[in-house]
Amino acid sequence: MSTACDHAIAYVYQYLDDEELTMSRRARIKWHLRNCGDCDGAFSFEDRLKAMIKEKGRDDPPPELFDRLRTLIHEERQGFSR
Amino acid sequence: MADQANFEGDAMQYAGQLYSAALRMTRNPADAEDVVQETYLKAYRAYATFKEGTNLKAWLYRILTNTYINRYRKKQRRPSEVELGELQDLYLYRRLGEVSGASQSAEEEALDQFVDADVKQALESLPEHFRMPVLLADVDGFSYKEIAEIIDVPIGTVMSRLHRGRKALQKKLWNVAEERGLTGRPS
Repeated sequence: MSTACDHAIAYVYQYLDDEELTMSRRARIKWHLRNCGDCDGAFSFEDRLKAMIKEKGRDDPPPELFDRLRTLIHEERQGFSR
Repeated sequence: MADQANFEGDAMQYAGQLYSAALRMTRNPADAEDVVQETYLKAYRAYATFKEGTNLKAWLYRILTNTYINRYRKKQRRPSEVELGELQDLYLYRRLGEVSGASQSAEEEALDQFVDADVKQALESLPEHFRMPVLLADVDGFSYKEIAEIIDVPIGTVMSRLHRGRKALQKKLWNVAEERGLTGRPS
């Protein structure tokens, strides 16, 4: 682990989230990843973990939810016009 | 100013995502649906105050989050979660690396062994302060700025909670992996 590794790891989320990083900092990290297998592996892992959470952390709504919401809004609308 | 007559057409497309987020917050399907219904009712009533052309999805999530907090945070009255302590960066990657040895990309392959229930349970077990930013960023794909607006905290706070929340999530996943014997090492 070098200072460059510490620097890269400190910004791993901002880098992967594509957020709040100056262009020069992003470029330095990108350069480092090309030359450091350990950090490149770690970044790739974090990216895949993020994708896994997105994919597996979600539920489908009950199919009736949409009808129930529409009914709710229609009732609210009629309540006001009455 | 948005027209209330367009509310259904504009907002209904997000109901599924909002339901899923509500379920991770409340951990219960009936409560999740209640929160979503209340959110849509409030959003419909307030739709004239929504500025057209701005971010409707984030606006709905903000109402959802407030609704959840008003309804359930008081009820829970749990003592605030014990400090998570300082966790190592890349927590899960390092732990998986220790058990998988030198084999390249074994850590990434280990991720395939987690099932949906593992991830949901790990998310739901996070203290609320960390759960919200992690859910909004990782599951719903909001930007830091959007999350800051949804949960009404400064962007720096979003970043630090997200950082710590993700590490905490990794520790939960590691615990699941150990319990289920997914680490390739007899427990």
